Amino acid sequence: MAEKYAVRNLRLCTKDCLCLYVCPTGATDTENSIIDTEKCIGCGACAEACPSAAISMVPKKMPLQQPKDEKVTEALWKLIRSKAHVENLASQLPGSLGAAVEKSSRLMAEDLCREAGYMLPQSGNAKAFLESLKKIPDVPSEIVERLLDAIPFQEEGDPNQE
Amino acid sequence: MKQMVCSVCSYTYDEAKGIPEAGIAPGTKWEELSEDWKCPWCGAGKDAFREKTEKPEPAASKASSESMHKAPAQEAQKGRTEGAHEERELSAMEMSIICSNLARGCEKQYLFEEMEGFQKLAEFFRRKAEPEAPANVQAILERINGDLSERYPAASDAASMEPDRGALRALVWSEKVTRMLQSLLARYETQGDRMLENTGVFVCTICGFVYIGGTPPELCPVCKVPGWRFEKAERRVS
Repeated sequence: MAEKYAVRNLRLCTKDCLCLYVCPTGATDTENSIIDTEKCIGCGACAEACPSAAISMVPKKMPLQQPKDEKVTEALWKLIRSKAHVENLASQLPGSLGAAVEKSSRLMAEDLCREAGYMLPQSGNAKAFLESLKKIPDVPSEIVERLLDAIPFQEEGDPNQE
Repeated sequence: MKQMVCSVCSYTYDEAKGIPEAGIAPGTKWEELSEDWKCPWCGAGKDAFREKTEKPEPAASKASSESMHKAPAQEAQKGRTEGAHEERELSAMEMSIICSNLARGCEKQYLFEEMEGFQKLAEFFRRKAEPEAPANVQAILERINGDLSERYPAASDAASMEPDRGALRALVWSEKVTRMLQSLLARYETQGDRMLENTGVFVCTICGFVYIGGTPPELCPVCKVPGWRFEKAERRVS
């Protein structure tokens, strides 16, 4: 298994198609422009050749999440909770400004949440969170199980992760 | 002659210079600008401006530069916050936020199936969240004022002590966006829907900045992402 795989950003791709010429396995030659991860061997030839820098190499294993201090996460969560209330209230207001405040509050809360211990879906925090959802009676458990199954979660202190 | 700085995007109005190209002569006092004057960069109202002072850097940012070179090993030993959320009950809305944030984390790594899973969970918890009352502009402004007067200063202090640059970055962005919301909602309180006539409302999909105008700005005045990352907020029928 390769350490990395290539992905193409369609926003940047200008169809110079050099990736087709340099790819040793034909992984970049697909109708929907999404690089075939099954065929990609992670050599990086396409990313180096691409004149519009539309291809990047994504690591299969992410480094461990930055440790977070409890005082910081506590203070961040007070804000996240407040944004959650505002989103709830704004969602009941008519008009485009209400819709904007609702959306804006969600985006701010997500960003703060990311800095409060939920940066990586592969983190131990994300795993513990998913596990805790199993206890909720009407949760769509097949989705939770599938995520727990599909995500390669990080183990604390695993030197391969760093 | 004083200078007034926009707390959302840092645009500075200099009384001595005025804005001749906008018909504001040099020497025009801040108080003489009309009440509905808006920041030429981000569109915030006069209420979002603060007088420029010669105050030194706040203690917070000093602390961060002093302790920047802490050994990484030391950092790693510090109490991690694994399972910090378990200590109290999370509301359905908060769980929805965690899920939609993790969906974004998957999207960035091009893990689209996992992204979809988290999105579905986010929608599930969002539907579970009961509508809160009173759902009016005043109640929202009260929350926002509490964020700006208490919760942001407290969080910024905690993050500067660490220092946690990632958290500080997120706090700076969302505090500016929150000031923008405060300014827009205060304007809405006096003008109502009149302020939204013949104009669009756009949201930066990265930081949440809200812009009122015909087209989104070229760059987001808060997070500096290109304008195509803005999304139009659509009118809702009540």
